[in-house]
Amino acid sequence: MGSRQINIAIIEPSHIVYEGLANILLRSKYHFRIFRLESAEEYEFAALKNGFDVVILNPQLIQNLTKYFNQLRRLNEKTLWVALLYSFFDKELLTLFNASIRINDEPDDVAETLHRLSLQNDSLPEPVAGEHITERETDVLRLLVNGHSNKEIADKLSISIHTVISHRKNIIQKTGIRSQAGLTIYALSNKIISLDHLGE
Amino acid sequence: MYRNIRTFIRPEIKFAGLIFENPVLLLLLEHFGIIDEVHDKTVSGICKENGISETVFLSFANLYNGFHQTSGNSYQFSDIPSIIRFLGNSHAYFRNEKYPEIYRYLKQLGETNPEAEIKLISRFFDEYFVEVTDHLDYEENIAFPYILGLTAEDGGAVANSSFSAREFLDHHTDIESKLTDLKNLLIRHVPLKHDPVNRRKLLFSLIELEFVMNIHSLIEESILVPLVIDLEKSLNRG
Repeated sequence: MGSRQINIAIIEPSHIVYEGLANILLRSKYHFRIFRLESAEEYEFAALKNGFDVVILNPQLIQNLTKYFNQLRRLNEKTLWVALLYSFFDKELLTLFNASIRINDEPDDVAETLHRLSLQNDSLPEPVAGEHITERETDVLRLLVNGHSNKEIADKLSISIHTVISHRKNIIQKTGIRSQAGLTIYALSNKIISLDHLGE
Repeated sequence: MYRNIRTFIRPEIKFAGLIFENPVLLLLLEHFGIIDEVHDKTVSGICKENGISETVFLSFANLYNGFHQTSGNSYQFSDIPSIIRFLGNSHAYFRNEKYPEIYRYLKQLGETNPEAEIKLISRFFDEYFVEVTDHLDYEENIAFPYILGLTAEDGGAVANSSFSAREFLDHHTDIESKLTDLKNLLIRHVPLKHDPVNRRKLLFSLIELEFVMNIHSLIEESILVPLVIDLEKSLNRG
């Protein structure tokens, strides 16, 4: 599928930036098809028709609109979202994206990032659907904060390590918390574990 | 502090206007050791008066305004001591000002909120602070003296020692992600029913710390370390 055409939508208010990025992608060795959307609202309508593989979005457009962004993402679960960064940006907001490119990246790197990302699509775990963690993720989290390793969690739940890792990724994405200690507090707060269970 | 669109800073711009636009720039001045009022001085004037390289000042100031240029800056080896001084001053700000402040808010919140989580968050922060302190100690006691040694007259001897700037980079742990955890816990996950004022102050404080910390890491990783690696190369050649 290396030569498969990859449909890319660029949601970027600046015409100069759009033209520059589109040119870089069109001149790369990969087969990208580029669509320009003026705003995130425009994507709402376009998404139904086009089935984009990748959407490149300037995260400033969705700042403080996380909910709306999640709605957009749900329009097509398979679409991958890439943040186009003019400068460094809030890491938390970036966790909502599948990848990011920077305005001062080398042209070849940009093309490579997008190509690699689109290859991933077929083997991606279930995309994160909602903000709440699922029952299975809760099981993983409970074992995790009690100090079990990926291998132990996999054995206990009779799932593969790969699946454990993908659950863990989803947990991080949904809660915004990476550290074990932070996740423990989250689990307590959401009654997933109780204080007496800790260190069981 | 939280506006998105800010001026790209150039030498001829008057600094006062920039502070109105992005007050965190006051911290930049402080960390450069500039305590005088800026009056109507331009960026260039401030640099001259304080003996700071304009290139360094502009690139740091622009980081505060959200612009990160990865190329086109020509730093000199002679800029290194002032960069280290800047970083050292930021360390003092983290240690002596920011952490005690956050600690205080957490303690007050613990007193007004009975929930067990707030005590856990306090402990989380304490452990995190130990990690940060270790890192700052390492930089101040090992990395910075090594780098300053390189810039001294007999730098060649230091360059052949077992330490190197790459090691510094390896040691550079990602201490920012725990701050993100804290923000997420406080904003999204842990219900605190009492004392919203202290909660807000705590969050503001965390957000300011995170902002300055991010820039601090960027300076170390993308400006200081590459510059020191070049210096090591040139000393080893000579």
